[in-house]
Amino acid sequence: MTDVIAEWVQPVEWGKVREFSRAVREIHSEAEPLIPPPTFPMVLSADFVERLIVDDLKLDRRRTVHGEQEYVYHRPLRVGERVRLRARVLSDTVKLGKRGGRMRVVVTEVELASEATGEVIGFERSTAIETAPVEGAAP
Amino acid sequence: MTLAPPPEFRVGPLTRTDIVRYAGASGDFNPIHHDEGFAKAAGLPSVMAHGMLSAGLLASFVTAWFGPGSVKRYGVRFRDKVWPGDVLSAEGRVVGELVEAGCRLAELELVLKRQDGTAVVTGTAVVWTGEG
Repeated sequence: MTDVIAEWVQPVEWGKVREFSRAVREIHSEAEPLIPPPTFPMVLSADFVERLIVDDLKLDRRRTVHGEQEYVYHRPLRVGERVRLRARVLSDTVKLGKRGGRMRVVVTEVELASEATGEVIGFERSTAIETAPVEGAAP
Repeated sequence: MTLAPPPEFRVGPLTRTDIVRYAGASGDFNPIHHDEGFAKAAGLPSVMAHGMLSAGLLASFVTAWFGPGSVKRYGVRFRDKVWPGDVLSAEGRVVGELVEAGCRLAELELVLKRQDGTAVVTGTAVVWTGEG
């Protein structure tokens, strides 16, 4: 198994869930109990992903695109629980693109577990693709 | 048991405010999504929406269909950029049903399209539909 490169704990806050639910037009956002939308773990991992992309992997954001995103849930997240997140880089590879340019493809995984019991709740996986620099473009 | 048909799901025309609302809600402040100068310097005609805003909208289509907390797996591929002014609509179909560990599950194929019919996000999901 690949190494855990970062580990942190974040609460699933009611206000953030409500705010996020409204931003993605989740029609159940007025209901109680409020259940976080499937893509809510972005809120828990956004700071980490920002640091990882800009500072650690040093991807150029002007030519980095988000290729794929996946969520796996063993059970739904619960508002009020504290989640332990563990991040891994599953792969970091260079591939040749269709037009001959080199593309860097980075796949990261964030595991979500209950801080209280250690139970694994699910996973968030992201694929980022940095395309080749354009010939003659300013660095 | 017959599964419910997919609900109508349409969002837009998408505004810069919708995009900024998602930036604030998610914490993704990549300037390409709110800073017009940065976006143009990167060769784009304007700011563009977060891929994860589209992925979140398509996920809301799934939870409108099968209920909050129903999603066991959800995966998307980003196919095209989304711009302010785009009108997005979601479509989905059930491609399989199975029983696993006492749960009835449905496998879905999903697509989020813009007004001209272009797929901007395609996806698959597995959702819980009841006790097996």
